[in-house]
Amino acid sequence: MEYNEEEVLTRASQGDRDAFGQLYERYVERIFNYVYYRTGNVHDAEDLTARVFQRAMNHIKNYTDRGVPFSAWLYRIAHNLVANWHRDRSRKQEIPLDDLPILPTKGDHPEKNLVRSQEQEALLRMIRKLPPERQSLLILKFVEDMSNAEIGAIMNRSEGAVKSLYHRTLLALRDQLEDQNLNLEGE
Amino acid sequence: MTKRKTDSTHKENLDAIEAHLAGTLKPVTAPNDIVQRLRARIQMPSRREIALRLTDWRRLFFVFGGVMSGLLVLVTIVRMFYYLSGRKDTM
Repeated sequence: MEYNEEEVLTRASQGDRDAFGQLYERYVERIFNYVYYRTGNVHDAEDLTARVFQRAMNHIKNYTDRGVPFSAWLYRIAHNLVANWHRDRSRKQEIPLDDLPILPTKGDHPEKNLVRSQEQEALLRMIRKLPPERQSLLILKFVEDMSNAEIGAIMNRSEGAVKSLYHRTLLALRDQLEDQNLNLEGE
Repeated sequence: MTKRKTDSTHKENLDAIEAHLAGTLKPVTAPNDIVQRLRARIQMPSRREIALRLTDWRRLFFVFGGVMSGLLVLVTIVRMFYYLSGRKDTM
């Protein structure tokens, strides 16, 4: 059966649980990926992903397509919940997060999946130290494979502003790598 | 000349960082048990259940159509007997 998002959204906003179920199936992995890389923690990623969909289900009546696709609306919910989560953690002054636990990546050989090189570990640690907006940008660009325009719709910025932020993020990473005397060899 | 060389090194550096970002930030597969638990938490019917319900709706539609057609045939037969018995009485 062909998936028609507009129709599914209309039914979901009228309280149709099955229609919302179809939206859930379509977006759960993507939202989980985003939250997983932003939190660095599988358990919190699970908890926050559930909250994203609960909130979306409760507020889907308020969603109207004003040029912002449904996926962007979902990512904004996820972005806000992750921001609250980071704020709560910093208030509680909890122990910093461990390095991102390894989950199998798509398309790679299972054995290759379970090992991360030292460079990758170092890069992940650096990414996690970036300001939240820059972390989101990198995750949306590389993990979710989004264009600057799509990222702009989620971050409420113009395409040009996203491009500029991306360039500044790369420069910041390069400076950090130089500070730490880390040399990234070619892939 | 030196400036052009610096620019090209600068670009190569950024390209290398981009390549490493692409190799590091890869989409992960959410473990199945997590997806199941999430579905249960937000009380979502599974994909299979949704598909089954859709099939049931279709079946329900055929059953309803069948019943209505059957009733129509029955009413027509009753009307026929009523008409025939009425004609007999008048003769």
